Amino acid sequence: MAEHPNKPALSDSDPSLQLGSIADRAVNGLAALGVVALVTAGVLGLSAHDHGRHFMFAYLVAFAWVLSIGLGALWWVTLQHLVNARWSIVVRRLGELLAANAPILALLALPLVIPTLLGNHELFPWVDHELMHSNHVLHKKAGYLNVGFFTVRMALYFGFWSWWSRHLLARSVSQDKNTATLGLLERVRGASAPGMIAMAFTITFAAIDLLMSLDPLWFSTIYGVYYFAGCVIAVHAVMVLFTLWFQSKGRLTAVTREHFHDLGKMLFAFTVFWAYIAFSQFMLIWYANIPEETGFFMERIHGNWLHVSYFLIVGHFVLPFFGLLSRHVKRHRVGLAFWSVWMLVVHYVDLHWLIMPNYQHEHASFGLLELTCWVGLASLLAAATLRRAKGKNLVPVGDARLSASMAFENV
Amino acid sequence: MSDSSGVSNQEPSLPSGDVPLFGVLAEYSTPQQLLAASRVVRDAGYTRWDTYTPFPVHGIDGAMGIRPTILPWIVLGAGLTGVAAGVALQWATNAFDYRWIVSGKPFWSIPANIPITFELMVLFSALTALVGMLVLNGLPHPSHPLDLKQRFLRVTDDKFFLVIQADDPSFKLEMARELLAGTSPVVVETVDEDRVTSDRLPRPLVLGLMLLVVAAAVPFGLAAKARASTSREPRFHVVPDMDFQPKMKADRANPLFDDQRATRAQVDGTVAAGELHENTAFWTGRVDGVLVTSFPEESPTSEAAVTRGRERFGVYCAPCHGLVGRGDGMVSKRAELLAEGTWTPPSDLQQDYIRTMPVGQLFETITNGVRTMPAYGPQIPAADRWNIVLYVRALQRSRATSSSDLPASQRDSLK
Repeated sequence: MAEHPNKPALSDSDPSLQLGSIADRAVNGLAALGVVALVTAGVLGLSAHDHGRHFMFAYLVAFAWVLSIGLGALWWVTLQHLVNARWSIVVRRLGELLAANAPILALLALPLVIPTLLGNHELFPWVDHELMHSNHVLHKKAGYLNVGFFTVRMALYFGFWSWWSRHLLARSVSQDKNTATLGLLERVRGASAPGMIAMAFTITFAAIDLLMSLDPLWFSTIYGVYYFAGCVIAVHAVMVLFTLWFQSKGRLTAVTREHFHDLGKMLFAFTVFWAYIAFSQFMLIWYANIPEETGFFMERIHGNWLHVSYFLIVGHFVLPFFGLLSRHVKRHRVGLAFWSVWMLVVHYVDLHWLIMPNYQHEHASFGLLELTCWVGLASLLAAATLRRAKGKNLVPVGDARLSASMAFENV
Repeated sequence: MSDSSGVSNQEPSLPSGDVPLFGVLAEYSTPQQLLAASRVVRDAGYTRWDTYTPFPVHGIDGAMGIRPTILPWIVLGAGLTGVAAGVALQWATNAFDYRWIVSGKPFWSIPANIPITFELMVLFSALTALVGMLVLNGLPHPSHPLDLKQRFLRVTDDKFFLVIQADDPSFKLEMARELLAGTSPVVVETVDEDRVTSDRLPRPLVLGLMLLVVAAAVPFGLAAKARASTSREPRFHVVPDMDFQPKMKADRANPLFDDQRATRAQVDGTVAAGELHENTAFWTGRVDGVLVTSFPEESPTSEAAVTRGRERFGVYCAPCHGLVGRGDGMVSKRAELLAEGTWTPPSDLQQDYIRTMPVGQLFETITNGVRTMPAYGPQIPAADRWNIVLYVRALQRSRATSSSDLPASQRDSLK
């Protein structure tokens, strides 16, 4: 096998390569569900007569959740190119398809960006001029936190993510037709180095702008990394679930137990990484005990937010740590599927915990508005991903290293 | 090797006919061939055999039928031991044997203990993984029959080997040769036992290791000696120019000046820029040496001033005096827990003599300190000190109020 690197490991006619019509019903159903859920959320939001406050907060949680999957995928694909990874080639197309949701995510950000542009300061308090200039510290931050610069930054982030993700997908797909294009991959690998640096900056600043600035007085230098940890967890869980679903339909059969094992290892590793980052943030703030920093945790240990905080320690770290520790779980389809779903749910709880204390103090709640926003955005992006997958190979058959990926085994 | 000591006295020589057989060796050019051959040998039912490769070959475990190692479980146990050791160490030192106030934190607090616990878990796990790997693999292994094979040297380069050992219960030389010949090897050869090299660790290595162990005990010995004896020798300085810096510290002697004071007083009749402080009521709490009894004009009473005072009180005063000034702050509480008898408790600000003090005296106390309370003048701007005085007055008022102080509407609700 290894002696013939240019021979395609999968033939173009392999029936497991393309989704075909199996996802058509799912695409239509998910798209319809997404539209209905988002319309319901919009109606619920408008009927609350709170200047869209509750709607925007609930929508932001759901948006941060779907955004984390897209960004996680884009980071992951960049990483695979950067380190010239072989094991992951059979699942790389799935990552490229998920990452290419970036332009759609830009559109779906509009319900948050447009009210902000129009001067609505229910979500981002820094939109309020009077507030910003009545407080000395906020006055100093006004040069960064203002509507004009915010809009420019959003355009930069989503513009870069859209271009980079489409670029990676287009290069990869063009290689499917032409197997003798090793140079193509090398150019992508070269571009991945600055691409990775750009990912680090855009994810960090997007997390600061979209999430941390909800409380414009508070700051934490590790905040971007915290959100990034959630992105990586989310994308691995989503890749596991999509692959399992495709395989139940007889597609993407090139992915073996060994690849699931590796996806599980990444899921486990970043669960630990998340806990490491979360605790690093907590301990420094706890130890220094400076009022301007402790405000963040004061909000989250009062009322029933305290219970959510405890739940995150147990549900986002302790349980998945021991649950995913064993290799047998990571190599077991049901075991890995369970923990993938679990991590996606606790990731939502984590984002809810980050965002919603700014909506209402002392009182954590999850209602119909939160649910419809979440279901709506998740369904729309799942539909978009499946629709994009149609007509494309689910595995980059033109990649010269594909046979090495298919034969991959953990020691 | 039961009688290796006797054998090692022999003259080094080529293995002769009476040296027992170690096994049969097959050489392969690619890992794929080795994997295929391993499956054949595994399925033939051999148990005493091994493969040798220049790098880890993915899938070799399955091809050889090796069961998963128990090392992960040992490492898990070591990691949990590290966790327990870290927690126990910190409990014994911080919460039990030598309790010490660190910035008002509890003696025993989980968040502060996590980094040490985490590091000990990693340390125990990593060392156990290394040592466990060596022990389970039977390493170090100073001699091995294959080491004498010239052909085998390329195992660290580009060749792959499989050896069926003669001590396998079902070993028969011709059958093993035949089996391996059918797996497309480069060559199949017999390997004799090593009767030439010693299977003992080299003596210098053993001596070196023993020396290290002894040397490692030296610091402990020195510490034990220091604990059990006294010394008149001056302290040993590792970095003298850091310990003795050419600079003057406040309140030290300086031979350059007649009065020997390192801290220079202001020249008589001068004032530093911006420090004229003509309004002594505001800056010192006194007018012509007499304590003022009302708030100075620069710091009028207002709701904003009380709010500011409460915030500053919470930052600077509450750690000792408590949030409502009863002398029950966290620092004081924990100091009393230590029960060392050296702690002067902070004053209860609700006492009558403090209640009736002129505001100027409260201001002066904050500015210059009293008894063991340090001076806060250098830390808190004067306006904030006055705000704190105002808040202390508000606290005192709240504890000694009569119903006639209340607005009529609230007074009615009490009836």
